[in-house]
Amino acid sequence: MFKKIRSSFHLFRPVLLLHAVLFCSAAYSQEQKTDTLRSRTLREVVVTGRQLQIARASLPEQIKTTKEILALNATNVADVAKYFSGVTVKDYGGIGGMKTVSLRGMGAQHTGICYDGLMLSDIQSGEVDLGRFTIDNISEISLNNGQPNDIFQSARLFASAGILSFKTRLPENNGNQRLSGKTTAKTGSFGLLEAGIFLMQNISKQWAYNFSADARVADGQYHFIQHYGTSDNLSEILTRENSDIQSIRSEVNIQYRLREKENFTLKSNYFQSERGLPGAVTWYNPYSKERLWDNVFFAQIHYENRLSDKLQYQSFAKFNSACNQYRDLNDGYENGMLEEKFFQKEYYLSSGLRYLPFDQLQLSASADWWYNDLLIESTMPFETFPYPTRHTGLVNLAAKYITERFTLSANVLYTLTREQVRTGEASPDRNKLSPTVSLSYKMLEDKEIRIRVFYKNIFRVPTFNELYYQSLGNHNLRPENANQFNVGFTWMETKIPFLPELECSVDGYSNHVTDKIVATPRDLFHWSMSNKGEVDIKGLDANLKMGIPVKEVGKLTITINYSYQRATDVTAGSANYGEQIPYTPFFSGSGSASYRHGIWEGGYNLIFSGKRWYGQNTVDTKIDAYRTHSVFAAAHYKTWKLTGEIINILNKQYEIIKFYPMPRRNFRLTLSKDF
Amino acid sequence: MKTNKFFLAFLLATSTAGLFTSCDPADEQQTNPEISTGLFILNQGQYGYNNASLTYYGFSNNIATTDAFTVKNNRGLGDSGQDIMKYGSRVYISMYKSSLIEVIDAKTGISQKSISMLNESGNPSLPRSLASYKGKVYVSLYDGHVAQIDTVTLSVEKTIAVGSNPEGMAIANNKLYVANSGGMSTVNDSTVSVINLSTFTEEKKIKVVINPTVVHADSEGDVYVLSIGNYYDIPYTLQRIEAGTGKVTAISDVKAYNFTIDGDYAYIYYFGYDANSTVVDKTYTVYDVKNERISKSSFIASDAVERIPYSIDVDPISKDIYIGETDYVNAGKMYCFDQDGKLQYTFATGVNPLKTIFITNK
Repeated sequence: MFKKIRSSFHLFRPVLLLHAVLFCSAAYSQEQKTDTLRSRTLREVVVTGRQLQIARASLPEQIKTTKEILALNATNVADVAKYFSGVTVKDYGGIGGMKTVSLRGMGAQHTGICYDGLMLSDIQSGEVDLGRFTIDNISEISLNNGQPNDIFQSARLFASAGILSFKTRLPENNGNQRLSGKTTAKTGSFGLLEAGIFLMQNISKQWAYNFSADARVADGQYHFIQHYGTSDNLSEILTRENSDIQSIRSEVNIQYRLREKENFTLKSNYFQSERGLPGAVTWYNPYSKERLWDNVFFAQIHYENRLSDKLQYQSFAKFNSACNQYRDLNDGYENGMLEEKFFQKEYYLSSGLRYLPFDQLQLSASADWWYNDLLIESTMPFETFPYPTRHTGLVNLAAKYITERFTLSANVLYTLTREQVRTGEASPDRNKLSPTVSLSYKMLEDKEIRIRVFYKNIFRVPTFNELYYQSLGNHNLRPENANQFNVGFTWMETKIPFLPELECSVDGYSNHVTDKIVATPRDLFHWSMSNKGEVDIKGLDANLKMGIPVKEVGKLTITINYSYQRATDVTAGSANYGEQIPYTPFFSGSGSASYRHGIWEGGYNLIFSGKRWYGQNTVDTKIDAYRTHSVFAAAHYKTWKLTGEIINILNKQYEIIKFYPMPRRNFRLTLSKDF
Repeated sequence: MKTNKFFLAFLLATSTAGLFTSCDPADEQQTNPEISTGLFILNQGQYGYNNASLTYYGFSNNIATTDAFTVKNNRGLGDSGQDIMKYGSRVYISMYKSSLIEVIDAKTGISQKSISMLNESGNPSLPRSLASYKGKVYVSLYDGHVAQIDTVTLSVEKTIAVGSNPEGMAIANNKLYVANSGGMSTVNDSTVSVINLSTFTEEKKIKVVINPTVVHADSEGDVYVLSIGNYYDIPYTLQRIEAGTGKVTAISDVKAYNFTIDGDYAYIYYFGYDANSTVVDKTYTVYDVKNERISKSSFIASDAVERIPYSIDVDPISKDIYIGETDYVNAGKMYCFDQDGKLQYTFATGVNPLKTIFITNK
């Protein structure tokens, strides 16, 4: 057995070397969430760090761990995000459809996507497709409104209106050098075939690694009901074509532990895919020939030194390179084809210090710098494309005061941007200060009931598309501002006899977005960008989680999330003044129930979204409310697990984005083995 | 005890599920109009939104039905209406992204045939403008062709190649003039194809200013061509192709964004943009095509149409002028002015009212 593992490691070693040597760099963020202080003061209560983290968060935080993720009928990070409150997932449907996340009525570009401690970015569009991150090697997905509660982070994590973060895991430093991991095989609807592997091992006292890889092919086809008008009009059952995908992803993390609390972690990640873009359904014309090729590579390195209880240090470096190639075949084009290639790179550095003058007080300082560029090659020449580059610098100063009943946290973030162009004019220099203050207070001595408040002022800088895209871009665009204010309660209870796990939170918020970057049409095909928009958002997020033990071996877990958003367009002179902004439901929510009894596991998941509009709030632009019900059942046998899932079991036809029909009932079968 | 726990959970789950429902008042139904004498307006809709529509406005009751096509046919027109034309007892509508010609009965509004427009490779040929001559309907196709449709069989008889991305067409001197825009090409085209209609072959190409789009002929066989330039340094230019000689003259004293010709007059509108991309300086000109000079430099006030003008058409009988208004995204509006520029009435249309035609059914 041991020999076998050794030989399999030999097989992987060249791949590891390739990652490590060829792309040479990378970083991995350690579990930073558990403050030493917190675990010390509350050790007597039998609760996990995660539960405490949620209950004591002064900025709302929602977390899903591996077990919870596996019970959600999810395949990628965006699927999981649908089970957080306050989230609107834009899902273009199907297996390769783009998926992005926006929080509390603010655009998707306000959501920072954080992977193992560092931000993912796309300088061109400002949006990261979360469909590309499968959940198989993910150990935790969390969502923070405002920013993370831990102040010992890179400055960039303080620079968004909210953070969706996910993590992989490395083996614990426990001296055990056994190779462990998991292999997974999936099949199901859409001609899906997927295989993945996750390995991790302590090679020595100093060295540890993990490696994951997966490959996926799917024809992506599914039937959908198309109404030629409203649901009262004629309809047909059509097939979603040109929605195939093939992708491979591989990642390696290597940790070198100099001492117990001092280490380097390298990460290198590569993703490649080819997919059809089925596009919006065109009535009476099924033609669809758009395709997209993605090549994304990033590598990061993280150094961390926690040797002293008083003073801690960490630094990061990252390199990201992405190439997106788009092709459309259409006889309207010269030579029947349009092809565009976009190349972007990012170089990133960050350093941070944390100082604890005494047990209750933490001070931190971090500074980040990064550089972005964007190149375009196109069969339609970009006469005015200026080949922009941008330097961004951030400095963040933060302080946090924690006692058993009281948490007060404040930080101020300084941002500067400097842009350069080859031709034309560059966007003006930006220098901004952004403050955040948050507070959490435990109201009763012996009950874990807390009130929390936060205020954050933040902005997002315009993307390169918004600034420089031919005939659309406007280099004078100002950053889009967001003011966030939140008041909420958290309640965690472990003393109810038949309900030993109860977690509950309710947050009301008021966000105001000014200088919102909007595209206004100049004519049917030419749009221009401006800072005209203004949006006022009032909302409520509620989360409830219950764990109910049944006899000795059974456990029922129920979670319910509910969101209300009144996101009003208050743009002066707008034809849509006073109306709900597009693609934002008033009501949305989710519910899950899962039950585990010995080797058996089963569950039910519900996603609900109220009606929305894709434009002016009229009957013609309304998108109907929907509910999808999904179930799964799993059996564990020794280290094997077989899971069967039925997604959208009631065969509901619905749309998230107009004219991008979502799949109706579909199936998935997953076999995995832990070792 | 165990059942109690489940019952509790069930109760919780179901009561919460109640939160996840919402009710919606029933959508209002449009009344089914009887089509007699009135207007058909083709609303282009937005590209990619399948919201082209056909508004019917009846002169007998002054009621507009915003989407008469859907009311009559229980389905929508499709994506990107491009042109509408009445010929004989039928109305022809070209749909660009849906790539079809919708043929409806002018008396009933009911579809007689949807002609799917595909080229030899089976790809959409992307219909644009319509013209008719001696029992045939001609369609310019964005894949660089013009098709001839027989009005008896309602099927494509023959297709010929012209320039790239042909747009507007007009019939004059027994010939078909086709503007080759090159709208989707690296270098925009700058020619007008002249097609002999008895042989249905291209005779020649006439060079005009880059990116010609709108073409109309006057009663003397002169062809007026509007070129929209290259969006950078070459501006919109209105020009005339002289009947007989084929000589091209730029009409430099008239600024045009779009125009139509009725009788001896061309009705023209124009606007510019300010630094915030807001439409400013809307002008409405009447040009005498017989005497080749400006007849009225502003037949209505600059602010007579509130938002952005999108179409201009003239009722050949009453000579009333119809101007469609848009903001490119929301429902549009139609304005009717009399020959003195006095506003007669307005009514709501679909998105992007592109063209108005006049229907007389007895």
